[in-house]
Order: sequence, then structure tokens, then C-alpha cells
Amino acid sequence: MSDTSAGPASCALAIVGAGPAGMTAAITAAALGIDALVVDEQPAPGGQIYRATTRSPLQPGTILGDDYWSGRALADAFAASGAGYLPGTTVWSVAAADDGDGFEIGVSHEGAARLVRARHVIVATGALERPFPVPGWTLPGVLTAGAAQIALKSSGLVPEGRVALAGTGPLLWLLAAQLLRAGAPPTAILDTTPAGDFDAWRHAPAFLLSPYAGKGLSLIREVRASVPVISGVAGLRAEGDGRLHAVAFAAGGRERRMEVDALLLHQGVAPNINLALATRCRHRWDDAQLAFVPEIDAWGASSVAGIAIAGDGAGIGGAEAAAERGRLAALDAAARLGAIGEVERDRRAVAPRRALARALRGRAFLDRRFRPALADRVPSGDTIVCRCEEVTAAQIVEAVGIGATGPNQLKAYLRCGMGPCQGRLCGLTVTELIAEARGQSRDAIGHYRLRAPVKPLTLAELASMPATDADTRAVVRG
Amino acid sequence: MTATTRREHDVAVIGGGLVGSAIAWGLARLGRRVAILDEGDVAYRASRGNFALVWVQSKGLGMPAYAGWTRRSSDSWQGFADTLRADTGIDVAFARPGGFTLALSERELETRVDQLKRLHNQPGVRELGYEVMDPTALSRFLPGLGPEVAGGVYCPLDGHANSPRLLRALHTALDRMGATFLQGATVTGIERRDGAFVVSRAGAAPVAAGKIVVAAGNGNKALGAMVGLDVPVRPQRGQIVVTEKVAPFLKHPIVTIRQTDEGGVMLGDSLEEVGFDDATRTGVTGTIASRAVRMFPMLGKLNVVRTWAALRVMTPDGFPIYMQSASHPGAFVATCHSGVTLAAAHALHLAPLIDAGGLPAEFDPFHGRRFDVPAPV
Repeated sequence: MSDTSAGPASCALAIVGAGPAGMTAAITAAALGIDALVVDEQPAPGGQIYRATTRSPLQPGTILGDDYWSGRALADAFAASGAGYLPGTTVWSVAAADDGDGFEIGVSHEGAARLVRARHVIVATGALERPFPVPGWTLPGVLTAGAAQIALKSSGLVPEGRVALAGTGPLLWLLAAQLLRAGAPPTAILDTTPAGDFDAWRHAPAFLLSPYAGKGLSLIREVRASVPVISGVAGLRAEGDGRLHAVAFAAGGRERRMEVDALLLHQGVAPNINLALATRCRHRWDDAQLAFVPEIDAWGASSVAGIAIAGDGAGIGGAEAAAERGRLAALDAAARLGAIGEVERDRRAVAPRRALARALRGRAFLDRRFRPALADRVPSGDTIVCRCEEVTAAQIVEAVGIGATGPNQLKAYLRCGMGPCQGRLCGLTVTELIAEARGQSRDAIGHYRLRAPVKPLTLAELASMPATDADTRAVVRG
Repeated sequence: MTATTRREHDVAVIGGGLVGSAIAWGLARLGRRVAILDEGDVAYRASRGNFALVWVQSKGLGMPAYAGWTRRSSDSWQGFADTLRADTGIDVAFARPGGFTLALSERELETRVDQLKRLHNQPGVRELGYEVMDPTALSRFLPGLGPEVAGGVYCPLDGHANSPRLLRALHTALDRMGATFLQGATVTGIERRDGAFVVSRAGAAPVAAGKIVVAAGNGNKALGAMVGLDVPVRPQRGQIVVTEKVAPFLKHPIVTIRQTDEGGVMLGDSLEEVGFDDATRTGVTGTIASRAVRMFPMLGKLNVVRTWAALRVMTPDGFPIYMQSASHPGAFVATCHSGVTLAAAHALHLAPLIDAGGLPAEFDPFHGRRFDVPAPV
């Protein structure tokens, strides 16, 4: 790995993201002699799951868990791989080159943008937290569990005062355990996991054979031993006047209220599809994961020739599955780039496929067991849905009434999704809300149409992009 | 599905964008029972991609009637906006502070001024009151102007509006007046039966109406053919860049730069003949950004929120087509690439003519027969 902040103008394979999928893809491709370049917005490799694994102020040990520190070994292998690496660099656009020869990747580093040419692209942009739009969730003092975990991993910071963790999903329990080990146990866990989903247990045998079962169950035991857990929580609301003061909810058949200084919300993760959507890869609704996922083949190849998607961005599977998907996508890229033949590709894919199947073994159970309640995904009344433009659920339902058939017409009516985040945060909520209001499927409603730039870019940076004579003639009149 | 010929609607307007909605609004205000037929969430929607100028200064070179029609719409726009606000509470943010065209070279300026002179020299074109300004004069109106600006043209008749809000206001008003919105189904055929038009739709019930208005943008070519109208429109791509919101700094719209009432700065635009392709291209959006930063250097530090492309609805000469079918009387087509500028005219002046049953002689220049190729002698 060479730190090439100035960076090359072209590469054979561009990999977006340096999490488990991106790093593994780079290691695999570089070993096959492919000129691979990893572009990642973080200052150090690891992605979200292994964020700052090479430079966290926390020492290897118990706080973040062995899984986290195993990321360091992967980062070390990536460093030794010989793949190019652009840290601290965002990818704001991927588009087919005008001359038809591969893709132009728009990258930005420290306020300077440029284009990198690549013949093949692997998008490994990971996951985002599912929005958890409850009344008062925009109050200062309310943040996502993921944001709290970033502070812990990068800076060793824990939220101060009385902290409630609310929601559902493995990450909620992981963060609780990490805070506990960091000496800052949460005041309470408000578990919103819907009770009584007996169907989930149909998938339990597979889960019990998965690598996650033992770890997950012991994690939950560890937390339950020290932190009060309130189950069956519904109707969560953050209360406060200008700042969070309390969290209110219903549990056990009665209304409750708890004064807190911080409320960490989490109800699972969803694939981060922003770049893939902006690149016009086809997506479909996955009802098990309650999210849009790209349409891909067994190698991760998307509907756009030359673009593959690996890792959680292709469907939530966890770090180990992400690494295997990264390996498979890199093998396919190697075959398409002519570094290996298809027979060799298939031979090398046998072990990763087996490992991928193993890693995905408990996924169906996790998806069912931690499936967030409809009421927690589809808000109503004055609850804000689009934070950027402060659009409420009631306004959206009203707009559907006058003719908003989907998220894109909704933008025209309400500016919903037109703010700085461009619907990257509210997209799932908006789709589900419209689907419920119209009585149609999520697939029929669809997602916001995303466009470049998918990451912040200044006008001066855009202005610095090269233009052909045809581009100039298309704009300049007279 | 059984076709019904029971006439539930006086008029079926095909197209729920700005052109169709403005005409439908005008008809509904006259008490007509209107149905608006529209496609689904993802379609080539010029109405959601436009630049939202209410623009006069460059319109009509080659067709004086178009200059007059544009002027008439511009003059009607304030009343139109006031009515929408009274009916719906929605402020569509119309303003006519006068607008500018800026040139980044002497040559650009000369070309622009020459076009305006020729526009004015046409018979029947009213005085626009335009003024050619040097950079010093421009700076009095446009703080922050960059040193590369060679000059510009000011026209007091130019303005702008908030076009997404215009679309919402029209749809809200239509809803309140009892108009029927039928969405998500493509029109597959139009036939006359028992003195009514029956519009069949893919996977949805047919719609019967006494009159038909075809206002579906680039769909007008195929739809017009169903009622004996030749509508030679083609898509022309335009790309736009919008920045994050900032404090108001630009009161006047410029033909390629305007600050919306919400604070974002919109930057346009391109003219590209690429068919039905609404992808953005970095080289083009980069050129748009570059020219904007040369005109107002302080824009350079703003974040780009989005770039997009939309497809204009272009006729061979660039002017609108308004006509009634000779073979299918009662079927009209309305098509143009200035759905915002002309919204007031469509709502207040065109709709009553359609309702009355025909377009007067002054609309002859807009008839599609102007594109008929004479048979070789």
C-alpha cells in the first residue's frame, strides 16, 4: 500500500471504501498483479466496523472486543498488499467515460477535486444506520448509536451523564457492552424489539451454528448483568425544550418517563446505496432486510457493466461476509480485466463461497429477530421525517393525497429530500411512509433518484473539472 | 376491463406537469369537470427539472407572436400568483425585479446585443425596455460581480418563481376544485366513441371526456398522433447545478444564475441533443460551475448539493405549438419548453379558448402546420 494523496490519474480497478470488503478486494486484486486503487473517506483504513483500528487511542484489550482488533490484521495485510490507497478522499461521482473506455471517478481530497480513470469499479460503501424517526429525535442530546460508537472508536469518548440506549439490533447490544467496558454503563436499555415473532425461531438453528451466536448471546448476557433492560418498548419520544431532558415510552402496559442527558437511537443498519443509485445500478426492495439492495449476481456484478458491489452495500451480511464478497468481486474483476481466466476465477472462488455461506448462516434469524416494528419505521403526525427541510410525516401524507405518487414527486411538493443530505438519511422512511399511505409495495414506490455529487463538493472544485469542446459548446452561447 | 363511454369529465388533460396542470387549473376555474392523467413517480419530467425563470428578454426572435405571448404571460403572472395564494395559501414566490444576461467576453456581449436588436426589429414586437450595461453599471445591481464579466443586458420584465411550489399550488388548487388526478398509468390509445373521447390506459380503467388536451411534454408526439395531430417535438437535455442555501445576495435573476427564495443558488444550463438520456456529465456541470464562479467568485466556496439533467420539449423552431385537431375536433395540443414563463398565459388565456372550443386567428403562428414540408414540385 502506498499513500498516494496526490494520486494516479488512472488505474485498472478502483475500489470505493476501505472497510472489510474494500480492503479484501484490494488485497486479492493486488496479489493477482492488478493495478488497484482504494479510495476511502476516512483518514485510516477499517471502514465503520474497524474504524480507526490502526490508530484508535484505545489500546487493544477488552473495550471494543476481539472482533474490532482483528480488523488491524486485515489493515496490516492491506498495507502490505501493494494496492494504491487514497485516504481522506471522497468519491462524489462515478460515471461512464465519454469515450466509452471505463469510468471516470470524481474524487475530492482536502478541497481539491479531480477525476481518476478506472476500467472496473468495486463499490464497497458499507452500511448506514436505519433512520429512527421518533418525536423529538432532532433535539440536541439525541444521537444515533453509530455516532456514539464512532466517538468511542476514534477518540475514546463516551457520552456523559445519564444515557439511555433505545432500539433494537445487534449493534445496540455491542455498543452497550463497549460503553460498559469503557466504564460508562448506560442508565438503561429500552428494547423496542417486537415480541412474539415466533417465525424468527424457524431460522434459529442456522443462527446457532453461525459464528455470531455464541458471541452475541454472551454479549447480551454481559450487558443484562449490569444494565437495566426494559423490554417491549413502544411509542418512544424524546422530550425537551431546546435540549433533550427525558425519554418517554410505553412498556408493560403503562406510560413511562425517564430523565436522561443522552438518548442513543438504533434500529439496525441498511445498505449504503447512495453511490450505486447515483451510478444508476438497479435496486430492488428486500423485505427481509427492510431496505433497497442492488441487483447483483453471484460475483457482486451490478446491472451496470463494469461496476460491482461488495460488502454490506450489497445487502447486510456483517464484516466476515463483507470480506468474502470483496474477495469474490475482486476475482471477477481480475477475470474481466484479463488477469486470470474464468476457470481460474471459479477455482479460486470455491473457498470464499464456502466461507461466505458460513458467514451468512445466521443472517435470516438476525433479520427476523431484530426486525424493527412498523410503527418505529413509519412515523405519523408532527414527527419530522426529512431533517434537512423539516418536513413532517403528516405533511407527507397530505402531499400523497394531492398526487405525490412517490419520493421524487414528493420532493417537488415539499422539498423533502432536497436538503444537504439529498434524502440519504430519510429515503427509507419516505418510501415506507408513501407505500403505507398509498397501500402499495415498497418496490412500486421506489427510492429517491440520487445524483452526483454524492459527497460534499464545492462549486470551485466542480468548476475545476476538465471539459471537452463539446461540453463548452453545450453551455456557452454566442 | 370494460370500456366506459359514460362521460364523467368535461375535459381530460393528458400530462400533470406545469403545462397540463396550468391548463387544467384554468378549465376547473371555469367550472369544468377535469381529469388529469399523469405518469408515475419516475418519468421525464421537465416540470421538475426546470430553471424557474419567468423570462422575456430573449423570447421571440423569428416569431413575433411568441414575443407577444410571452409578454402577455409575464404581465399576467402576478395576478396568477396572487390567485393561487388566495386559493391555496401557497406562495409561489413570483418576483419580477428585472433580469440580466451576463457576458464573459466582448464577443458574447456583441452576440447577445445583436440578437436583441434583431428581435426588436421584427414587426409587432413591443418595446422591452432593455439596457446594455458595462461592468460598472452592472455592479450597482449585482454585488460580488467578478472582474471577468465584460458586460450584460438588463430587462425590467424578467422575473422568476419557485417552480416546485407552483406545481404543488396548482395540484392543491385542482384537488380543492374537485378535479380528478389519475396517475401511474401510461395512455395507450385515444378514440372517439358516442361523441366523447375515450382514453385507454395501461393497466387502468379508461377515461371518457368531452374534450382532450394533450400536454404531456415529449410524450406529445405519440399522443398527438392518436388524435390526428403531428407534433414534432424532441428532447433537448439541459443540466443544472444547485448549491447549498446561503443568505440572500442576489436579488435579480440572471439567465444562468438565480438565488431561490429558499436560499439555494441555481446554475444553468446546457443545450444538448442526446435523445432520451437525462444523465448528468461532469464536463458540462463543471463548465456551468466554472462560468458561474467567473461571474461571481464568492460562489466558489459553496457546496454543490445536487446536479441534475432534464429534457426540454423542443420543436424544430423552438417555439410552442397550440392547435386543435381537424380530424378530431375537441382534441387540442399544447407544447412548449417554457412551462413556468407561460404558466399564467396557459391558465388564464389559453384555457378559456379551449373551453370555448377553438383558437382564434392570432394563434395561427403557433399551429403545427408551419412545419409541414411542401411537396416537391
